[in-house]
Amino acid sequence: MIFGGIDIGSTAIKVALVDEEDRLLGARVAATGSHFHQNAVEALNGLLAEQGIDRAQLGFLTATGYGRKLFREADDVISEITANAIGAHKVGLAFGGVETIINIGGQDSKAIRIDAEGNVVNFVMNDKCAAGTGRFLDVAARNLEIDLEELGEYHFRLSGTPPPINSTCAVFAESEVIGLLAAGYSKEAICAGIHFSIARRIARLAKRVGIDRRVYFDGGPALNRGLAAAMEQELDAELVIPEIPQITTAYGAAILARETWSEENG
Amino acid sequence: MSTEVSDIRARNRQTQQAMEAAAVLARIQTEFPDNPAGMRYFYDLFQKTYCEQSAPHGKPVIGTTCVQIPEELIYALDAVPVRLCNGTYAFDQAGAEFMPTKSCSLVKATLGFLNQELPAHLQGMRQVINATTCDQKTKAGQIIEQMGYEVHHLEVPRSKDSEQARDYWRHSVAQTARFLEQATHRKLTRRGLRTAIGKVARAQQAFRRLHALRREKPSVVYGKDVFLITNGYFFDDIDRWTEALEALNQELEERIQKGINAAPKRAPRILFTGSPPVFPNLKLPLVIEQAGGVIVADETCSSNRMLYDAVGVDEWFLYDMVDAVADRHLKPCTCPIFSSNIDRQRRLLELARSFEVDGVVYQAFAGCQVYEIEQQSVTAALTEAGVPSLYVETDYSPDDLGQLTTRVEAFLESLRSRRRRKRQ
Amino acid sequence: MNRLRSWVDGVDIRRFRFWVQLASFFILVYGGYFYINLGNSLPTFSCGFNGDGKGGICYLLPLQHQMHISWDALLGWRGIALGTGFLTFLAWLFVLNKAWCGYVCPFGTIQDWMTKLRQLFGIRYSNYSLETFNKLKNVKYLLLILLLVIPFAMANPVPGTGHLPDDLATPFCKICPARMVMPAFTGDFSQWTVDFSTGTAMVMTSLGMLVLGIFLVGAFFNKRFFCFFCPMSALHALFANIAFLKLKKTGEKCTRCGDCYRVCDMQIKAIADDVESKVIVKDDCMLCLKCVAACPEEGALKATFLGIPIYESTEAGFFKRMDKKRKEAE
Repeated sequence: MIFGGIDIGSTAIKVALVDEEDRLLGARVAATGSHFHQNAVEALNGLLAEQGIDRAQLGFLTATGYGRKLFREADDVISEITANAIGAHKVGLAFGGVETIINIGGQDSKAIRIDAEGNVVNFVMNDKCAAGTGRFLDVAARNLEIDLEELGEYHFRLSGTPPPINSTCAVFAESEVIGLLAAGYSKEAICAGIHFSIARRIARLAKRVGIDRRVYFDGGPALNRGLAAAMEQELDAELVIPEIPQITTAYGAAILARETWSEENG
Repeated sequence: MSTEVSDIRARNRQTQQAMEAAAVLARIQTEFPDNPAGMRYFYDLFQKTYCEQSAPHGKPVIGTTCVQIPEELIYALDAVPVRLCNGTYAFDQAGAEFMPTKSCSLVKATLGFLNQELPAHLQGMRQVINATTCDQKTKAGQIIEQMGYEVHHLEVPRSKDSEQARDYWRHSVAQTARFLEQATHRKLTRRGLRTAIGKVARAQQAFRRLHALRREKPSVVYGKDVFLITNGYFFDDIDRWTEALEALNQELEERIQKGINAAPKRAPRILFTGSPPVFPNLKLPLVIEQAGGVIVADETCSSNRMLYDAVGVDEWFLYDMVDAVADRHLKPCTCPIFSSNIDRQRRLLELARSFEVDGVVYQAFAGCQVYEIEQQSVTAALTEAGVPSLYVETDYSPDDLGQLTTRVEAFLESLRSRRRRKRQ
Repeated sequence: MNRLRSWVDGVDIRRFRFWVQLASFFILVYGGYFYINLGNSLPTFSCGFNGDGKGGICYLLPLQHQMHISWDALLGWRGIALGTGFLTFLAWLFVLNKAWCGYVCPFGTIQDWMTKLRQLFGIRYSNYSLETFNKLKNVKYLLLILLLVIPFAMANPVPGTGHLPDDLATPFCKICPARMVMPAFTGDFSQWTVDFSTGTAMVMTSLGMLVLGIFLVGAFFNKRFFCFFCPMSALHALFANIAFLKLKKTGEKCTRCGDCYRVCDMQIKAIADDVESKVIVKDDCMLCLKCVAACPEEGALKATFLGIPIYESTEAGFFKRMDKKRKEAE
């Protein structure tokens, strides 16, 4: 029996499949686009086909994320906070356990505090503005005229201290970046500066729920190693980053699918 | 601006209020199965008052802005107290003309509402009693005066524990009685006040019966209905309101006998506290109940705190009755404006315990400093007692509905898993 | 059982109290005519100066007599008499605790009648401000100490100093207003004089008449005026928290509404504000239980006898009593 979790976000759809032991069998990331329902179904079917799994073998599907309630194919829904917590807790066990989870998404960022069993104890969200979210990185990459994926490399090529980027708003940061470029700062320096700016904001958010020894970092921007380095410095804690950080939430939803199925079927 | 334009604007806002009210009423009635028949009275009451035009009271109307204003005195002088606290987003936006943008939505909405032609049931209201409670309410008093109303500033002490606070308050109340006598051209009599205390006592008994019924497991009535009922107390005729509530209580007791619940057995039981939900701003309570929770108790001044505490008279003479009424409105009050909030913490803990709640949702309107400040001590006290809580800062705008829903759902999910773990 | 309890909890305690007070008054002021004698260790003001009518004697009188004892006699049979008198007093006290004041004391009953008279005229009562209250609350302890020390000092003069005059023998009774008021109820006004026989007697009895005057005015305007200064109350207070009849409070249920404080004749603020103590019989309390009757919170206050609740505050009882009294006032 296979169980699935699907995380329908505003920019990307993530699907994960697990077996009865909660082992991750496969995962897929696709763009949400403008027809999210169609794209979600395609992503799910595509992943099943790739893994050679029949639709009938899928015992339970749990949906999470922004578009969860509209995805009628799902058997159950769960909020992304709970799903993220379950997934991060499971992955974190291999590292000795995590107490705090930081998720930076395309449009928001969250800090979740969990207990030893992976239950959500507290959480805070920054959902009022784009500073400290993936959008900030998009804006920065565009202004520096580099690819989003290159931001990490540029960060590490810097020698010396990065300039402080002070804007609390992603829109104003844009003009600040242009100003710094004009003043002669290198792209490497500005990159690092942006990463530290985001990291400081996130650290403030995370401190509201408390940081212990290990922090789990997921969401698309977790692929940015430069950002991760800046965050480790600002949080002053060990950072645990999964191989595919975007799918932790879908993975958590899949685990929950397995749990729910097991409860209902004894 | 020409009066034509401002008239159109005013009419627009009234229409907007009617629309907001209609939308909320629709949600309350249609998105929950099998509402009690006794709620019909209240649904119709709001429909008439907010969406249509309701009849004037026929007696002089005195506007009030706080539960600490002793309504018994107003009833004693054969006048009708109407609580002016407003919950309409359109009026909130109108009120931004008078108050800084970052200030409390409730005060802004009240000011926006008062600055235009009053609806039929408030026709002729010229006097407003404004209590000097929090900063924003206190300053609003003068603004209301400048709009042309006759305002009596009821002086509230910022500390309620000392004997001098009690004395100061008693003098404030006595002064208010003088003001009311002038406003209504009547004298406060023993009989009048006695009857008024009796009327309010009967309303309180009906509310306490409802309060006790909310303890039932599984729940027999939703919080959205209770908030609607208590919001009705703001402006409805007190005798009709009491009768309708007594009938509803009767029906709820019958439902308990027949085993008809409102919410499913596993629905997380929530205690709601903080800035008061004022119709039509029942945004957060509806989010909670539509996400599968049920609000079984509350500590807000648009519900529990308005109707719970009872007047205890020793000698049924005017001097003692006025003091008893004064005491009732000050001593047990758990509004966050006071210097110490120990009574509020105790009240919350006792409610959490006796209603067997699973979690607490603490609402603070953005800009409401007193509720925002108290959040820390209240959450700490609840955490120490092992009661999980969710802090929500919001306002009247519908913009944050999506995020609120996610946060509330996550909270309810964590309550469910906590319960599951306890069972194991 | 539950129906019995809710009936009891809905009772109008004031009515019950009226009848108990009347019966006690009769027994203690006129009982002597019917050969009723409850002894000399009563923890209540049954005045010893009330000729044949008295049904028992207020313990303070024999106590003052017995305190007139020299050090060495303390170990003799007079000391034993002092001890047994005290133990008898304690035995009586343990049963009803301070309810002796609220339900039995005839002097208290007289004050309650004066309060009713005031209410008949619709005159407002007078209360102490908290400051004054705090300044005066220890007067009763001072009086208690004096009534114990003065007779003892008289029996044990310090060599080199003079003797205390004999007329100070029962110092408290000399100034106690009950001495004048209680015999008056059996037609005996002989105590309403100033005794000019000695200087001390003159001073003491003048003081007594002055106190009587203050009492008559004070008790009219202030509820249970004398009880605030009563040394018997002070003596009770030492044992109030361990007697069989207790007043208990469940702090978590208290909303600090202060209704109990409002109705308390003795102005005890702690009844409303103290949410920590389990047993809440304060030194001024007379266990009249008006507070229990005035409390609208279920189970917040209760009177218990040997741990068994006998009268508890209930929401239903509160509203029933308020409704009833409101209708009576019409």
